[in-house]
Amino acid sequence: MSAASGTRGKTLLALHLLLAVFSLSGIMSKLAAQFPFMSAEFVLCYGGMIVVLGVYAIGWQQVIKRIPLTTAYANRAVTVIWGIVWGALLFDETVSWQKVLGAVVVLAGVVLFAMAGDDPEPAPDDVEARGGDRS
Amino acid sequence: MSESVLAYAAIALFGVFVSGISQVLLKKSALRTHEGPLGEYLNPLVVFAYVLFVVSTLLSTLAYKVIPLSMGPVLDATGYIYVTAFGVLIFHERLNRRKVLALALVICGILIYSTGV
Repeated sequence: MSAASGTRGKTLLALHLLLAVFSLSGIMSKLAAQFPFMSAEFVLCYGGMIVVLGVYAIGWQQVIKRIPLTTAYANRAVTVIWGIVWGALLFDETVSWQKVLGAVVVLAGVVLFAMAGDDPEPAPDDVEARGGDRS
Repeated sequence: MSESVLAYAAIALFGVFVSGISQVLLKKSALRTHEGPLGEYLNPLVVFAYVLFVVSTLLSTLAYKVIPLSMGPVLDATGYIYVTAFGVLIFHERLNRRKVLALALVICGILIYSTGV
């Protein structure tokens, strides 16, 4: 069981590395926006964004083979935090308390949405309570 | 929030909507049977879905001319609203109360965020 949770931990770590990489696509997009449409700089930044999205798509497929989709989606909510961090560090954006609070509420909404589920599957807690092991 | 930020935020929101349509088309294609592995990737639905995907990225880049970088992921969360709406309307998925509450939180969060831009 500890081996299984270790694998899960590694996958979660890999997922967060992947989401950090994904957050770079926003930086590329924001950079591209500062250049004239179809200029060399625009193409470079926009192309970089497409490459990042491609890497992300491949990585995401690998991650969701290893952990539940709901967990993956819930963790993806962290991208709102990356947006604030990169915006402040790279583009001198102000970090107001409304922005932070709003982002945290959005994050909570996305996590809740991911955990809401489509079908009346028993919650993991219920399975554990009955001593069941689904793995 | 200035009027220009509002206008470009609307462009970003439209980009998220277009991305949602793209995902629906991909899902529609995935639910169909195709002739051979090549048919899974090179059918009109999938090609159109990828065209829409590119359009959505261009719309978000256009939006970033004005909106802050931090606003992008916050507005991206509206994608869950479209995913839910399309799921119910097109794929006849069930809506549960927790999802509605979650989407309400997303909208509240966007409104709170917007007061600080």
